[in-house]
Amino acid sequence: MNRKHFLSSFLVAGLPLPGWSAWRSDGENDAPAAILPRYLKPGDTIGITCPAGFITLPEIQPAMLQMIEWGFNIKVGDTVGKKDFTFGGTDEERAGDFQQMLDDPKVKAIMCARGGYGFVRIIDKLNFSKLVTQPKWIIGFSDITVLHCHLNRNYGIASIHSKMCNSFPDDWNKAEPIQIETILSIKQALTGQKMKYTVPVNPLNKPGKAEGALIGGNLKLIETLAGTKSDLRTTNKILFVEDTGEYLYSIDRMFWNLKRTGKLEKLAGLIVGGFKIKPDDPGEEFGRTIQDIVLEKVKEYHFPVCFDFPVGHQRNNYALKCGVKHRLSVSNEDVILQEI
Amino acid sequence: MVKVPPYLQPGDTIALVCPSGYMAIEKAQTCIDVLKEWGYKVKIGTTVGSHSINYFSGTDEERLINFQQILDDDTVNAVLCARGGYGLSRIIDHISFRKFKKQPKWVIGFSDITVLHSHIYSNYGIATMHAPMAAAFNDGGYRNEYVQSLKNVMEGKSIKYEVPGHEFNRKGEGVGELVGGNLAMLAHMVGTPSDIKTKGRILFLEDVGEYLYNIDRMMHQLKRSGKLDKLAGLIVGGFSDTKDTERPFGQNVYEIIRDIVKEYDYPVCFGFPVSHEKENYALKVGVGYKLKVGKSKVMLIG
Repeated sequence: MNRKHFLSSFLVAGLPLPGWSAWRSDGENDAPAAILPRYLKPGDTIGITCPAGFITLPEIQPAMLQMIEWGFNIKVGDTVGKKDFTFGGTDEERAGDFQQMLDDPKVKAIMCARGGYGFVRIIDKLNFSKLVTQPKWIIGFSDITVLHCHLNRNYGIASIHSKMCNSFPDDWNKAEPIQIETILSIKQALTGQKMKYTVPVNPLNKPGKAEGALIGGNLKLIETLAGTKSDLRTTNKILFVEDTGEYLYSIDRMFWNLKRTGKLEKLAGLIVGGFKIKPDDPGEEFGRTIQDIVLEKVKEYHFPVCFDFPVGHQRNNYALKCGVKHRLSVSNEDVILQEI
Repeated sequence: MVKVPPYLQPGDTIALVCPSGYMAIEKAQTCIDVLKEWGYKVKIGTTVGSHSINYFSGTDEERLINFQQILDDDTVNAVLCARGGYGLSRIIDHISFRKFKKQPKWVIGFSDITVLHSHIYSNYGIATMHAPMAAAFNDGGYRNEYVQSLKNVMEGKSIKYEVPGHEFNRKGEGVGELVGGNLAMLAHMVGTPSDIKTKGRILFLEDVGEYLYNIDRMMHQLKRSGKLDKLAGLIVGGFSDTKDTERPFGQNVYEIIRDIVKEYDYPVCFGFPVSHEKENYALKVGVGYKLKVGKSKVMLIG
């Protein structure tokens, strides 16, 4: 019996139930509690698969070698090296490969080889019943945000938002410290180390403290999941967002989407990661910075907000445990996010 | 039952506003002249040819106030948005439709104006008009059948658009209220208070400048949010200037849409003249239409 289970049975047996109205007051209380997959130990197997864009076998070699050095075995999925135009195989092939990784009891974690586009095309073809009984870590970001959101919304299974195979340095000895540190953060997350991040202070941050499950990912993906069964629920959670290659006006529109779909008003905290902005077309200057865009949307709320968090389509992109409870503390002196 | 605003009579006033992007007054001049030639008075909102120096036609407050004034102005019989761009999402929740609800008038435009079409129809059951805007009048454009269709629809003439078939068309007939507009805006509004209702309705879609993968993703969003399974019909308009990634997507936009709706059996037509290009018929959002799709011919009657 895991600890969580033990605690909840103790609560039911030993304490009076809260009033009915308390249960009813907020539908989001029905959201499943976080289920933590088992952390990895040496000898465990990590499966590599391509649910979105294609990648070649040589391109995943550095990741394989590194993870073998960490003491893990690697199972390479059929979709690695497959190519159907932009995709790592047809929808059927990608869904099939991901499904067997989900269902193979020997695979203890699944690393998506890369993002790109394509997860939303297969998400409804996947059967998560085995994952629910035997949760395992699923790793990735960008397009893999679809999966993080889907797991959090429907099953409450934690997952790892981090760099993928295509970000492992070719030569570990020549890699820059930030590359090594961020790749090592994947290992730390996978092996059960408590995560802690110290973030540079941005004078535009909104100070405060928050506790809640960490959720988030690519902002565009979060927007395009609205109204679907993978749509994120954000009440009492710490939301992180990042994006790349978007115009400022488009980022503005996406933050309006967050606001208008009710995803901002009950947040515990907001973490703004890296935004690689596509320059405005001449004569179409948007006239607002990313900080302006965000602060305008959250001005009536009191939760803490921090900018420049090291997550995104960039070198300083640390592993984050989605669905796991964290504490965010934003002050004028320091910004700290830590797992609790 | 949807409320249809009164059609226009000679001598009625059409007001031009820019609720989103900036537009210089010179770019709207032909439109103003032609509307007068058609027999209307024209009122020019402060957001048309404004002093703004950035992307927008004014600050949020300026755009909101101008739109609100025009919407509530008893002397204005129709509101023609001079251009789209981006910006309605920023002010839509602050626009009051209290007076408009009692005295509806035509709100006209497309692209970013899809926000208004969807918001007004979903929340107030009032018809709006998806139609060419000021720039379409320029360079002699006002003579083409698409800008002329705006005149006809404003006057309340019955509509019968007949367009050639397309090899991907799915034959059939559908009857329902017409809803739709710009795909990116429809996707962006899913889950918001302006969200489009599609059940039992004929949906039309168009877009410009989008990546193929993004069109695919938006179509999946519509599908996964339950907006494609119970349509009376689907009208696929123009998707101009689509972009592709370095690694090609492998399907064109019509193949993408055809495949996403292949499991349904309602009529679907491709290449309907509703788009960011010249080919852009005026369509009444919220009004009942009959869609007849054949292999060689498509008719939209309403």
